[in-house]
Amino acid sequence: MHVCRGNWSKQEEVLLTGDYARLLPALERMQVDQFVLEYATPRAGDIEVVGQALSDRELGLGVVNPRTDTVEPVAAIVAKAEQALAFYRPDQLFLNTDCGFGCFASRSVNVEKIAFRKLCAIVEAAQVLRAKYG
Amino acid sequence: MAEPKSFVTTQVGSWPRSQAMLKALRGYQKKTISRKAFNAVAEEEIRCTVILQELAGLDVVVDGEHRRESFYAFITDKVAGTQLMSLAEMLDFVEDKSEFEEMLRTMDMPASAVKNPTCIGRLSRREPLALEDLYFLRTLTNKPVKITLPGPYLLTRSMWVGALTRTAYRDPREMADDIVRILREELIDLRDAGCDFVQFDEPVLTEVVLSEECGRRTFM
Repeated sequence: MHVCRGNWSKQEEVLLTGDYARLLPALERMQVDQFVLEYATPRAGDIEVVGQALSDRELGLGVVNPRTDTVEPVAAIVAKAEQALAFYRPDQLFLNTDCGFGCFASRSVNVEKIAFRKLCAIVEAAQVLRAKYG
Repeated sequence: MAEPKSFVTTQVGSWPRSQAMLKALRGYQKKTISRKAFNAVAEEEIRCTVILQELAGLDVVVDGEHRRESFYAFITDKVAGTQLMSLAEMLDFVEDKSEFEEMLRTMDMPASAVKNPTCIGRLSRREPLALEDLYFLRTLTNKPVKITLPGPYLLTRSMWVGALTRTAYRDPREMADDIVRILREELIDLRDAGCDFVQFDEPVLTEVVLSEECGRRTFM
């Protein structure tokens, strides 16, 4: 199951802010295998909040912001995943975008060229992580 | 091709639509182009999106949701008892018009850009929501695939427009029972068809707990 804080504007200040703490009672009761969560934006809070409560499931870790024009450095993605490794095994950890690149057809939050480069950065980070942690 | 055992890479769903795709989508909604013509454009876009994901080396691929007006409003195409309405059209039915307009402005959301799947009758699946998407995606790749579906809470929140929905359902809860049944049927169909990953999107769950704290909200 995927949760985010809005993905319609490139103006970060109009989107919701706050960690997942108050959602935990609901998330804990859901019978799903994986939570696909935003973590590329500081608005999502610390991984610890979900990591401590929901590490019996998989985590789809959001590592790139679909609404920005700069591509996240591979080292930053690796570092983010390493924070999650404090709570999850490598086989429980998926790496993904924070949300889609064009939820609303006529209001895409990015262009194809940047979206593609962001996917490449995720893949490269995964290769680094697999070499290091298996 | 099996997915790797660790750090599986994927994306969350939608891909930027091209001008050709947007034109076809509007044409299909206005019934100026046929479903067949619309699908031909969409399939070409999906093909390109799949190729790009394979080029990038992604492990689990999606179709980019090119056929969809949005990740939830697309269900009006599949579910009986629904009507696709722009937020501008919905203005006539909301209780506090000026507050609604002000909210859209401060949220950087032009009323014409977003369409809502409003419930106007009893809900039932006219056709599967995403099963055809899965079948087509399978023809394009040997990699594991992910299908995205709107979550039940998101749909209940957005589909209930009191002035229009009360003709069919007593309250949001009664409507939600039908939404859950429809989503459950779809999930079982996708599972039986061998879909590797089904993702339910519940973006407005955060609003319930966060909007008070941060003084912002969403329009869904």
